[in-house]
Amino acid sequence: MLQINDITVDFGGVRAVDQVSFVLKKGELLGLIGPNGAGKTTLMRVITGSVTPSLGTVRLEDRILNKLPSYQRIRLGIGLSQQIVSPFRSMTVLENVAFVAGYHKTKNPIASLFKVNRSPENEEAKRLLNMVGIEEVASSSPSNLPLGYLKRLELARALALKPKLLLLDEPLAGLNQVEAVQLSDTLWELNRKGQTIILIEHNLSEVIRICHRLVVIDNGRKIGEGEPHMVMNDADVQSAYLG
Amino acid sequence: MFIFELLVQGLIQGGIYALIAIGLTLVYGLLRILHVAHAGLYALGGYCAILITNASGSFGLALTCSMIIVGIIGMVVYRIFYQPLLDKAPFVALIASIGLFIAMEEIFRIIFGAYGLTFSAPPLQDTVVFLGIYLRQCEIASIVLAIGLIAGLSLFTKYSRIGIAWRATVTDPEMAESFGVDVIKVRYLNFFIGSMMAAAAGSMVALLNNLVEPTMGSVPSYKALAIIVLGGLGNVRGTLIASLAIGIAEAVGTIYLGNILDRDSIAFAFLIVVLMLKPQGLFSKG
Amino acid sequence: MEYEISLLTIVGISIIGALSLNMILGFCGQISLGHAAFIGVGAYTSSILTKSGVPFLLSLPGAMALSCLIGIIVGFSSLRVRHDFLAITTMGVSFLFTGVVRKQEVLGGEMGIAMIPDPGWGKLGYMVFVILLVVILAIFSLYLKRSWMGYTFDAVAEDEDTASIVGVNVASFKLIAFALGTAFAGLAGALYAHNVKFIDPESFGFIESITVLSMVVIGGTGSVWGVITAAAVLSVFPLWFQFIDDYKLLVYGTLLCIVMLFSPQGLSGIVADLKGRLVNSKEGLHAAD
Repeated sequence: MLQINDITVDFGGVRAVDQVSFVLKKGELLGLIGPNGAGKTTLMRVITGSVTPSLGTVRLEDRILNKLPSYQRIRLGIGLSQQIVSPFRSMTVLENVAFVAGYHKTKNPIASLFKVNRSPENEEAKRLLNMVGIEEVASSSPSNLPLGYLKRLELARALALKPKLLLLDEPLAGLNQVEAVQLSDTLWELNRKGQTIILIEHNLSEVIRICHRLVVIDNGRKIGEGEPHMVMNDADVQSAYLG
Repeated sequence: MFIFELLVQGLIQGGIYALIAIGLTLVYGLLRILHVAHAGLYALGGYCAILITNASGSFGLALTCSMIIVGIIGMVVYRIFYQPLLDKAPFVALIASIGLFIAMEEIFRIIFGAYGLTFSAPPLQDTVVFLGIYLRQCEIASIVLAIGLIAGLSLFTKYSRIGIAWRATVTDPEMAESFGVDVIKVRYLNFFIGSMMAAAAGSMVALLNNLVEPTMGSVPSYKALAIIVLGGLGNVRGTLIASLAIGIAEAVGTIYLGNILDRDSIAFAFLIVVLMLKPQGLFSKG
Repeated sequence: MEYEISLLTIVGISIIGALSLNMILGFCGQISLGHAAFIGVGAYTSSILTKSGVPFLLSLPGAMALSCLIGIIVGFSSLRVRHDFLAITTMGVSFLFTGVVRKQEVLGGEMGIAMIPDPGWGKLGYMVFVILLVVILAIFSLYLKRSWMGYTFDAVAEDEDTASIVGVNVASFKLIAFALGTAFAGLAGALYAHNVKFIDPESFGFIESITVLSMVVIGGTGSVWGVITAAAVLSVFPLWFQFIDDYKLLVYGTLLCIVMLFSPQGLSGIVADLKGRLVNSKEGLHAAD
C-alpha cells in the first residue's frame, strides 16, 4: 500500500534521514521505532508532505506523492496523529472531530458555502470520541484538558478522515499505564477490522505486544526490520538502544 | 555630476531611514512586535528639537536633550503598551501600536496646531561646496550623525558587557536568560537606544525641512516597516543596506518614475515585488 | 428628517465596509491593513462607469468585480507571506493605491472625481437601498459563519498548518475570504461615491483603512453583531457631536489601545464575559441553595 523508496532528508548540512526504504502492506500494523532524534518524525513528515526529501520517493498505492501538497495527500487517505498535539482551541473537542469528519463537505471550497447541516458529522464525532474513551469531555474546550485527553483527541481527529493509512506519532505518550493499554487495545482492534497503521512509539512493551512487524531507525538509517521479537534480539538494535 | 548629486541626496535620506529603521528592527528582533508607534517617537524627537532650540538657542543641546527625553519615553511606551501584550496573538500588539501612533499624531496636532512648528532662527543652513556639489551644512551634519550613531551602536554591541548581552538576547532569548542575562533590562535598553536614534532622525529632519508637522511620522513609519522587511526582520546589517538602497532608489526613482508612481510608493512597490519573490526578505538568515 | 436620513446612509455604508473586512480578518484570520484601497477601487470604478453612462445598478457589480479581482491578486500575497509580513504587505497596498491614483489623469489625479451622478432615488430612496444591502450582508455574514465554509475559516484562522494536516486546502479558502471581503468592500466604495458625489485619493488612504480596522477590532473580530454595533457607533458619534469630529482620530487611536490592552476580543468579548459571569453567579446561587 505504501512504498518508501530511498528517502533522504538534509537539514542544512545535517543528514536527518539517510536512504530509508520500506514497504507497508494493506492491513498491516507496522511499528517504526528507534532512539530519540533517530529521524522517525521526520520520516512521518516526509510522508505527509511537510518535509521535502532531497532524494527518494513516497508512493501510496499507485500514486507518487512527492509533488502533492499536504492537504491533497491527506485527502488521498492518510490520517496523521501528531506527536505534538495541535487541537483547534477555538473549537470544542466535539467540534474538532466533527470538522474533520466533514472533510467531504469542505473538499470543494466554494461548494462548502452551501452546506450547513452538521448533524451527521456530530454523530460520527461522538462515535469516535466514544471509541477513544473521551466522550465525557465532548463539549469542553481543549485548552483546559490534560495531555492524555488531547492525545486521544488527536487520534479521533485522524480517524475522522476515514484514512486508508493511519500514521500515529507517539499516541501513547502522556497517557498513564492503564490508559496506554486501553488505547493500544483500541488500535489493535482497529487494525483487526482492516485499518492499516504505522505506529511510532517509545512505549516498547506496547509496540511489541500489538505490532506485526517493526522497522528500526537509528541516526537516520534503517538498522533493522522484521518480526518484533526477532528484531529486538538483533545485536545492532540492542546496541542502538543501550548505547 | 547630476547622478552623483542624486546619489548624495539618496544617502542623506537613506541615513535618516537607517536611524529610524534600526530601532524598529531591534524591537522586532527582540519582541516580534511591529512597533508602528516608533514613528510617533521620531516625530516627538523633531518637536523636542525645535522647542528646545527655540528656547535655548543651541541646536546641539536640543539634539542631546531630545534624544534622552525620547529614549526615556520609549521605555515608558514599552512598559505600558507592549509588556502586557507579549503573550497575546501578534496582531494584538500591532493594532495597539497603530492606535498609539494615531493618538500621538493627534496629540501633536491638538497641542502644537495642524501647521506644525519651525525654528525661529534655523541653524546650519549655510551652503558649502563639497566634492563639486552644493550641500547645506545640516545635510552634512545629518550624514555625519547617522554614521556616528550607527558606528557607536555597533561598537557598543561588540565591546560593552551589556551590549554583548543584548546581542545574545536578540539571537536567542532563552539561551541568554539561562546564561544569567537580565532580559527585562535588555528590553528597556533596547527601547531606550532605538527611540534615541529615532529622535536623532526626527531632529535632523526638522532641521533639514525647518518644519515639524503632526503627520511627519506617517510616511517614514510605514516606509521604515517596508525597509526592515527588506532587510530581513531583526537583521541590523540588512536594515542598514536596505535603508541606503531605498534612499537612493527614491532619489533616482523620483526623476525617472515620477510620472507613474509617487515618491512615497516606490519603497512599497519595491517591497511587494521582493516579498513575492523572496517571502522572508532580502537578507534573511536561511 | 433630512439629517437623520443622511446619517443612517453613512452608518449603513460604514457597516458594509466593516462587515467586508470582518470576512477577511474576523472569519479567516488574515490581517489586512489596506482595506480602504479596495473600497477606493469600488468607488473609482462605479464613478467612472456611471459618468460614462452606465446605470448605477449595473455599476455596482462592476465595482465589486474589479475590487474582487484586485483582492484576489493581493490574496495571493497572503499565500506567500504570513502574519507580520502580510500586515506590512497590505499596508503597502494601501500606499500603492493612493500613490498610483494620485498620478493618473484619467482618475482625476490629486483633484479626484467630482459630480458623480445621482442614482435619482432621492435621499430617502438611497437610504432604504443602503439599509437593505446592510441587512442582506448581515444575514449573509451570519449564514457564512454557520456554513462549512465558515467552519473551515475558523480552522484556517487559528492554525494553518494543522488545517492542512486535516485536509484543508488552506490556499483556496484564504483566496475566497479575500475575494468575498474585497468584493463587498467594492460595494461599500460604490455606495460611498454615489452618496458623497466626490472622491479623491485621500478618501481611501491608510487612515481610512485603520478606521475600518478599528470598527472590526473594537466590535470583536469575527462577531457580526459586535462589528455592526461598533461600526454604527464609531461612524455616528463624530457626526452627532461636532466636537468629537475634531478629536475623532484621537478617540479611535485611544480606543484601539485600550481595547487591545484590556479586551482583545472587543465588544463581543466583553459581552461574552459578562454573560459568563451572569451564568456563573446564577450557578453559584443554585449551589448555595
